[in-house]
Parts: sequence; structure tokens; C-alpha cells
Amino acid sequence: MGMNFLQLWSIMKPICEILILWWVFYRILLFFQGTRAFQVLKGITYLAIMFLVAQLLGLHTLNWLLMQFFAISILAMVILFQQELRQGLARLGRGHFFNLFLEESDLLAGIQEISDAAFKLSDKKTGALIAIERETKLTMYVESGVQIDAIVSSELTQAVFKHESPIHDGGVVLCGQRLAAAACLFPLTDNQNLSKIIGTRHRAALGLTEHTDAVVVLVSEETGEVSVACDGKFIPVTGIERLQHILKDLLIVHSKVKK
Amino acid sequence: MKDFFTVNMPLKIIALGLAVITWIYVNGEVLK
Repeated sequence: MGMNFLQLWSIMKPICEILILWWVFYRILLFFQGTRAFQVLKGITYLAIMFLVAQLLGLHTLNWLLMQFFAISILAMVILFQQELRQGLARLGRGHFFNLFLEESDLLAGIQEISDAAFKLSDKKTGALIAIERETKLTMYVESGVQIDAIVSSELTQAVFKHESPIHDGGVVLCGQRLAAAACLFPLTDNQNLSKIIGTRHRAALGLTEHTDAVVVLVSEETGEVSVACDGKFIPVTGIERLQHILKDLLIVHSKVKK
Repeated sequence: MKDFFTVNMPLKIIALGLAVITWIYVNGEVLK
């Protein structure tokens, strides 16, 4: 019986190992998908295949060269993708517990105020950029703006984005039910596929959602259109109920589990 | 389960390829 188990394990061991490796590689690829690091990862995959072929065929010179290249490229990757690696590790460590610390009622109140403000600003064709924090802390961006730290309300948000307001430029950051700061600077997206006519506000919204897991509510100054940005993509919004529904989905249900 | 075979299939195949390559390489070279 013991022998049978050992035999079974010796067959199962490589399968288990490959499955674990597959899962790890898949998560890494999924994490980098859509970012500029993904292209580099694809390049490294081709090199890995070349390396294996060189190994199998006994091409020693090619093998040696690839070996040297790999050693340098690992160091280069750490330097080039510092930010991505930091985000990745932070994401791994943090898990999905952010909404346990925030009361659902607080979030709901915040969503209601923000939605109301967005559509009132839209009516007046006043541009707005509202970032809502999820797991990744937006402290860095909060520090780039003017600290407010007040309970969010539709009126306060509208006042911030009024043209006469000295803090109407840039975005506001919302942490739970508190409006942490205004006039914050967000990173611009470097997505090359975007139309050239897309403005800086939209680029900032996409940029922030590419760098962090924040959700951004955006009001276009030109058209008054309201949209939501998440994971580097825009979600068009048709009405206030729809906006509330999307925000509830993204902030409370948070069912967006990557399959 | 149906989703498993439809969502992100190319990525899953690439990951499987990488996993097999790594396993073969490590078992063939390091653990010889």
C-alpha cells in the first residue's frame, strides 16, 4: 500500500510542480497584461524558448551569449520596472481586504454625493476629475495637492471644480467618505492607441487607473459627458442611477475578480 | 468551469509553455 502511494506520488509530483508553475506564470502574465512591461515579458519568453532550443541542440556559443544576456537583463528589468514591481508586491501583500475597513454605509453616502456632484457639474459643463481610493493607497497623489480632509458632499465637490476656485485644476482624491485633497496631480497615460484629441483630464484619469487600482469619475469640460475610468479603461455613464450602480459594483461588491 | 477555457486562453497557453520549459530545464540541468 505504501509502495503504491510512493509510486503514485512520483507520477503526480511533476504534474503538481508544473501546475503550480503554470499558475504562478499565469498570474505574472495577467498582472503585466496591458502594461508596457508585457511587451518586455513577451520578449523574454522568446529568449527563454531560444535558450531552451540552444540547450537541447548543444549550441554552446549561443547558449553562453544568452546566459550573459539573461544575467544583465534581470538587473535591467529591476531598474526599468521598479514601479511595476513595487505595485505588484504591494498588491500581493495587501489582499482584498480594503472594504472591510470602510463601513458600507460610508461608501454608499460617498457614492451618492459624488454621483450627484458629477451630474450637476456635467449640466454646467464644468470639468471634474474625482479619484476614489480602493486598495492601493493614493497618499503620493494626495500629497501633490491641497489637503482638505473633509466629509465629502456634493456641494463641496462642486465648489472645488468651479472655474473661479483656485483648486479647480487637477483632481480630487476621495478616501472612504473623506475628500482627502484637491488639485492633485495624476500621472498621464502613455497609451499610444488613444486618439490625439483626448484631453489631459482623460489621460490623467486613465494614467491613474493604470498605475493604481483607483476608480476615477470624470466629467468632460467640452461635452459634459460623465464617465468612469477603471483598470486603464473608460466605462461610459448614461445617467445618475447608472453611475451609482457602477460605483457600487466597483467599490462595494468589488466582484471584479480576474479569472 | 466553462469560463476557464474561454477567458484569456492565449495567456494560459503561454504560461503553460513557460511552466513546462522551466520544469524541463530545472530538472535537466540543476537537479541532474
